[in-house]
Amino acid sequence: MERKNATREQVLLLLEQAGELSPALVRQVERQTGVPEAEIWGTARFYSLLSERSAALLLCRGLTCKLAGSRQLAAHLEQRGEPYRSVSCLGQCDRAPVALDQDLLVRHGRARGAVSPDDPDLPINLAGQDDASFAALHRARQLGPSAVLDTIEASGLQGRGGAGFPAHAKWRAVRAQASPLRHVVCNADEGEPGTFKDREIALRRPYRLIEGLAIAAWTVGAGTIHIFVRGEFPRVRAGLEQAIAAVGEALSGLDFRFVAGHGAYICGEETALIQAMEGRRGTPRIKPPFPTQVGLHGQPTLVHNVETLACLPSILLRGGEWFRAQGRTEPGSKLYCVTGHVHRPGVYELPLGVTLDDLVDQAGGYVGSPRAFCPGGASSGFLPMSMRDRPLDFQGLARIGSMLGSAGVVVMNDTVNMAQAALQQSIFFEDESCGQCAPCRIGTQVLRQALARFLAEGSPGALNGLDSVSWEMEQASLCGLGMVASRPYTSARRYFPGDFQPASSPEVS
Amino acid sequence: MNGMNHDISIRIDGHSVPARPGESVLDVARRAGAHVPTLCHDPRLEPAAVCRSCLVEIEGQARLQPACSFQASPGLVVRTDSPRVRKHRQVLASLYMADHRLADGLPQRSPAGSSLRGFAKAAGPLIQLHPVHSPRAGRPGDHNPYIGFDPGLCILCARCTRYCDQVHGAGAIALAERGRATTVSTNGGAGLLHSSCELCGGCVDTCPTGAMFDKKPSHHLPGQLRRVRTTCGFCGVGCQLDLNVKGGRVIKVTAPAPGQTINDGNLCVKGRFAYDFIHHQDRLTQPMLRDGDGRLRPSTWPRALERVATGLKRVQERWGSGALGFVSSSRCTSEENYLLQKLARAVFGTNNCHQCAAT
Repeated sequence: MERKNATREQVLLLLEQAGELSPALVRQVERQTGVPEAEIWGTARFYSLLSERSAALLLCRGLTCKLAGSRQLAAHLEQRGEPYRSVSCLGQCDRAPVALDQDLLVRHGRARGAVSPDDPDLPINLAGQDDASFAALHRARQLGPSAVLDTIEASGLQGRGGAGFPAHAKWRAVRAQASPLRHVVCNADEGEPGTFKDREIALRRPYRLIEGLAIAAWTVGAGTIHIFVRGEFPRVRAGLEQAIAAVGEALSGLDFRFVAGHGAYICGEETALIQAMEGRRGTPRIKPPFPTQVGLHGQPTLVHNVETLACLPSILLRGGEWFRAQGRTEPGSKLYCVTGHVHRPGVYELPLGVTLDDLVDQAGGYVGSPRAFCPGGASSGFLPMSMRDRPLDFQGLARIGSMLGSAGVVVMNDTVNMAQAALQQSIFFEDESCGQCAPCRIGTQVLRQALARFLAEGSPGALNGLDSVSWEMEQASLCGLGMVASRPYTSARRYFPGDFQPASSPEVS
Repeated sequence: MNGMNHDISIRIDGHSVPARPGESVLDVARRAGAHVPTLCHDPRLEPAAVCRSCLVEIEGQARLQPACSFQASPGLVVRTDSPRVRKHRQVLASLYMADHRLADGLPQRSPAGSSLRGFAKAAGPLIQLHPVHSPRAGRPGDHNPYIGFDPGLCILCARCTRYCDQVHGAGAIALAERGRATTVSTNGGAGLLHSSCELCGGCVDTCPTGAMFDKKPSHHLPGQLRRVRTTCGFCGVGCQLDLNVKGGRVIKVTAPAPGQTINDGNLCVKGRFAYDFIHHQDRLTQPMLRDGDGRLRPSTWPRALERVATGLKRVQERWGSGALGFVSSSRCTSEENYLLQKLARAVFGTNNCHQCAAT
């Protein structure tokens, strides 16, 4: 039991600053914070950036990096005698294959990906000149909270983190709470394999994000804004800190706080993110209650993805109807990341609901003969090219058992064996399962092990029982990770049955 | 009756059942006689909903919901035995069996240790999955005499860690690592004697698989022991405990189930583990009086009490009541303490009385 007035939220920061994790360090942090040592140890060991510190390079083993040749990069590192450790996706898919150094900066990787060309009519417009005038914030203050809410509702803005939940509904839920202490949290823990749009927003348009946060905080009556930045993105945090420091009066009355992630994909889930911010293991909480009711420190909390927040300034300046009209099948523009077998990987801002072909046109076309794609990172599973003209939107993809998610589109051509690709994604989910609930903790292991056995032995009998296991994971897992973790397998098997026939196991390139 | 005005009713498997708003669906369902299995549930702990065994169908909810944490509200419609719920239990049990040994054939090392076995057996024919080998670390160097941990049996329900934190307040163990490697650990995996553990054994009592076990008795199978309810003699609190007896000997001590006794299933290290004295050869089992040459010899209670009374009166006569002092033991009950001060004040006329737990 923690001491009265314990400062649990300091735990991760103190551990991060102190260096190598050891029982002696944990005892010291116990004295500083009043949190029992076993809990500090257990929390530290949850996060890979705290528990596995070494001088070795971090080599990404995400699907996109595999497609781009992470195996060759590994061989290259071995040849040069550079020690490395393979880790889950590092969020640098446009630069694949990637290895990070000890300071989490890119040591090996291609040039940064492309973005859509400058166009002032794009709501986010990554290539545009960032603007620190805070005109949209002034506009919001002139309109008043209730008109701002109506504008957001009229815009049809859906959460861009993956769930596509209507933004205005979250805002109204927070405003309706009795507690005068409320929080706004910016979820910049971008970790979905194939996704790096939030990184680009924060690096290229920090003021758009900061202004979006200020508008949200002002509207829902929150005094504190927390920005949770993925640990592997040190430059993102530095850039945002610099931008905030450079603003004067415009942000007075708002308290900005930064929290670093420490290497756990699951913390992108909003309740796990709150757990991490409170200095706990990043295990998702049971919902309800939702963070809008019981969030950070038990207080009402609005958690939004970076992209959602970055949409706000142009919505306020140009109106909800204008934003809505930017979409094709659903409201607004969308930042689509595209990687894998395309000529120009990058982030493209397009009407929400474009097709894969539209997107890949922007990215310079397909490399080779396309076979499959993930519409929204690992969580969305795989789709066959027969779906290339489907709108990439929230509702349409959900209807076919996939999801737009974070719109991290990964394209695979006909050199890729889909059982192998499914194994790749299964390794990711097994590594990133928090381990809290049994269907996900055990199910991800069963899936990965069965796929590996099938690929090694070529016998479909290795896959017996997986349909039931996948069903159970989807039905019974505590959070969204477990719900989607079987999709790579189920979708690959549904759309590419040929790759699950006996002895069909060419390696992914 | 208390709270009658706020009573609501919910439907469980087609029957209308009275409930209080905010009460867990699990509590209501069990009161109504429905079978809802649980593994991570302990009424003394905040619901965790991590074992997923209690998931039920609730109308209007797209996903299955944990009965242990889902709150009753007017008109709720719950199904605890639908085909979907049954399939869920069957596959979940199959997953557990892929990752966990059952304590079948092992000595009964924790009182609730057969819960996982019960869940698996009730879930019907299981799907045979290849076993997975989760790298859960144990504490092989832990030489404490009482509490063992077998990670192969652990299902990460976190009853032990939550008990340690929420009930005992020791915070000696917590979940550590992530995903498949998740385990129960102290700081750095040190032995319990090097942690804040007070060896209360509550973790052993609440464990549903026998992963947390009592190190002492290791050779008795379930069903071989007879339980005898008694009151702990170590202090005046009055905790109830169960002596597990075989052939007239106490083999081990367990706590009664939560909710039945004043101690709500909790014990301390003395009550649970310090029972070796019962059959020890040096134990005093009858009054002893020192004879003329200073040797202790067995006697009777009337003679022993007479010796005490004589001695006390002699001191009082020679030195006055102020020369006497009465100190009672913290093992005494309130009533016994009352009697002792009455003896001091009313019989011997002194206020020199004290109870050793009073300071």
